[in-house]
Amino acid sequence: MIDFLQNTIDGVMTGASYALLALGFTLIFGVMRRLNLSYGPSIMVGAYLGTLAHLHLAAGPLGVAAVTVAGAVLAGLYVERLCFAPMAAGAGIAAMVSSFAIWMQLEQAAILVLPRHTYPFPPLASATAWLGPFLLRLDQLIMLASALVLALGVQALLYGTRFGLALRAIIGNPTAAHLVGIDVRRATVLAFALASAVGGVAGFLVLASDAQVTPMFGMWATMKGLIAMMIGGLGSIPGALVGGLLLGVVEAQSQWYLGPQLRDLAAYVLLFACLVWRPGGLFGAAPVRDLARGRSL
Amino acid sequence: MDDYLVGVLSNIGVVSFVALSAYLLLLTGAISFGQQAFFAIGAYAAGVATALWGWPLAAALALGAAVSAAAAAAVGLPTLRLHGLYFAVATLAFAEMVRLLFELARYQVEIDGELVGPNGADGFRGIRYIFEHDLGPLQFLALIYGLLAAVLIGFMLMERSRLGVALRMVGEDEVLASLNGIAVARLKILAAGLAGALAGLGGGLYAHLTTYVEPRMFDVMLGVHSLAYGLIGGLGTAFGPLVGVLIDIGLLESIRPLAGYRMIVFGGLVALLLIARPRGLLDEAAVHWLQRAWRPRRRP
Amino acid sequence: MLDVADLVTAYGKIEALKGVSLRVESGRITCLLGPNGAGKTTLMMTIAGILQPRRGTVRLDGQELTGLTPARIVAQGVALVPENRLVFPQMSVHENLLAGAYQRRGRGEIASDVERMYARFPRLQERRAQLAGTLSGGEQQMLAVARALMSRPRVLLMDEPSLGLAPLVVAEIFRIVGELNRDGTTIFLVEQNAHMALQVAHHFYLMEQGRVTFSGTPGELAEDEVVQRAYLGARRAAG
Ligand SMILES: Nc1ncnc2c1ncn2[C@@H]1O[C@H](COP(=O)(O)OP(=O)(O)O)[C@@H](O)[C@H]1O
Ligand SMILES: [Mg+2]
Repeated sequence: MIDFLQNTIDGVMTGASYALLALGFTLIFGVMRRLNLSYGPSIMVGAYLGTLAHLHLAAGPLGVAAVTVAGAVLAGLYVERLCFAPMAAGAGIAAMVSSFAIWMQLEQAAILVLPRHTYPFPPLASATAWLGPFLLRLDQLIMLASALVLALGVQALLYGTRFGLALRAIIGNPTAAHLVGIDVRRATVLAFALASAVGGVAGFLVLASDAQVTPMFGMWATMKGLIAMMIGGLGSIPGALVGGLLLGVVEAQSQWYLGPQLRDLAAYVLLFACLVWRPGGLFGAAPVRDLARGRSL
Repeated sequence: MDDYLVGVLSNIGVVSFVALSAYLLLLTGAISFGQQAFFAIGAYAAGVATALWGWPLAAALALGAAVSAAAAAAVGLPTLRLHGLYFAVATLAFAEMVRLLFELARYQVEIDGELVGPNGADGFRGIRYIFEHDLGPLQFLALIYGLLAAVLIGFMLMERSRLGVALRMVGEDEVLASLNGIAVARLKILAAGLAGALAGLGGGLYAHLTTYVEPRMFDVMLGVHSLAYGLIGGLGTAFGPLVGVLIDIGLLESIRPLAGYRMIVFGGLVALLLIARPRGLLDEAAVHWLQRAWRPRRRP
Repeated sequence: MLDVADLVTAYGKIEALKGVSLRVESGRITCLLGPNGAGKTTLMMTIAGILQPRRGTVRLDGQELTGLTPARIVAQGVALVPENRLVFPQMSVHENLLAGAYQRRGRGEIASDVERMYARFPRLQERRAQLAGTLSGGEQQMLAVARALMSRPRVLLMDEPSLGLAPLVVAEIFRIVGELNRDGTTIFLVEQNAHMALQVAHHFYLMEQGRVTFSGTPGELAEDEVVQRAYLGARRAAG
């Protein structure tokens, strides 16, 4: 029982990072109805810039965090400019494949700049504490708190501000959003930047708790974010949160009881089952009609 | 031909099968990130058949295609009502499940004092049929391209048949297609099965070409690449995916000076290409133009 | 007030507008008739800035609108009630109205305009918290009109507001169109329902295959033999 609870705690902590990744992912998808496969690699670019700042400028955790987030936003805007902005309405698949091509590009660029397989990443806080029989890590608590705060923040932004109204209008109907005078292009770019920043925070927190970064982080982040987003429901903020936490807990429990190989298998079984039984995700609405017609992604 | 060239060409041919597999599904409007699973299943099944059971190559390749087709049709059923990204991610989840299961799967038999067969994450070594039967690299290359040519002819016949029209209609608009009396569900399962068979056949060839497979060869990267090939080469014709493979593996991998920058160049080029031609180089318009340019000359 | 001159808009190689010129007079209801596929929606979308013309100009009181973004055009005082309504389905009625005022500043004035809309469209007030996607077709049309009015337009463009609605609802819509106009709104209305349009509009244009083929008063329209047969007679025979 203690093990089970400790696993759950660990899972929630890891899940918080998945939730953050899913949060950024779902924001992009919600606004653009397009899949950005370069989401994780953009974060990885930010993290590499953070590492460079750490190695050459001796930047501390906060400096590295700032560089990571800024780098992720810049890389994200590069991806938006190249893969999404120029694509016509019907070219969702082309945009997705294009974001995949840029993924390859970003990964190779990172390897060229820092060719070793891993580089150190400054840890945020390595303190641990016992809560009764349970072990808690400070950096993971920060991760969990960040996930909750950012999810609430994004939710408040969407439902409580003029910018949020604009984003929800675009999500509802881009043409009508134009017609009421929303600058759709500008709002989309801002949403993209915001999502990249959330991803950057997620990336920083995950890498700081791992204390190292590799080029594979891009793929990892895209995959974890995608899985958590799909479990929770595309375009849903609470869905991203719950999807991420659920994925974390399932992984932690299966790792403990079944071993590391079956842990990954369990995550994919969960994903597949969720998609087949609840295609809209736990929190999503049923797929909308133009999705059902396979027109957009 | 030098060995390097034969190697590259063989690779291009084999990968073309997965690319065609993803392309076939794309025709029906389904985006799959998971065709590598059937490539893997075909590779393992055909490899086991020759290396462990001593089957002839043709039978082994047929087995690989058949098992893959069955698996693909079986996954097609629960994912039938999924569309767009939901379908794409479901296929991805399935493919990763398959890959992870191959990392666990052990089935080894002692042959000539050596353990042969799938050995989990360590892979499956010793699929030595072509050496044991004195098939030279050129002969195997001919086999690959012979089969590929047959598949392409099949595609061309299909595109002109009622089946081809029906598949494209389902791809355009499922609801409309069903209103036009097309049995959408059956057609999608059929397409999934055919696509599985194609990938499985390619996998069987791949296993015998490299003599060695391991689960991590069949990760998401292969799946997304397979999908991308169709979009790069063009969705207007079955030659499109081949052109995509040719550009990636043929051109870029082979130009040695590009080595460290290959992906930087490739990624940028693909992104720019897709801006100019969102349905690839050989899109419907290009194919139409080529056909018109070609036909008058053929007539006496 | 709104001047369209020699407008050409194309989808790829196909020109949907082949040099359209017309004029919407201030304070009036101008109605554009035409069969399906004539290019009416294309014209509206081009005026609103969603589509870019190949050639020609759109001016509002002499000021060039061509080339402006849709958002700037709304700010200049042109609002479009699009074909098929296009409400924001996942937002409440109230939020849809607020979105309509997106270009404006000043919470107090916006709030009192929202109240004015509720007074004009009581059904919307009853359903202010309901998601717009769950409204009936007629209610969605009211909402689309009210949403457009929230930007305080100088010209209100309406693209087939009666499309797919029951006769009683259509009559209600036309009553509102007349009322809005009496209150001083300039209206440019696209319709296929010539009979209803004849009761409210002051000037008519007829468009066929991307060209304006007729311009005249309701009296002239009713007398024109071609129009008679194609629009009035045919409508009567069909409906
Ligand atoms: N998105 C589009 N792409 C290509 N052609 C279009 C598009 N929208 C409309 N058209 C064509 O432009 C012409 C005018 O259409 P439209 O403006 O919708 O006519 P109306 O509103 O008068 O019925 C039609 O021939 C139609 O087929
Ligand atoms: Mg129209």
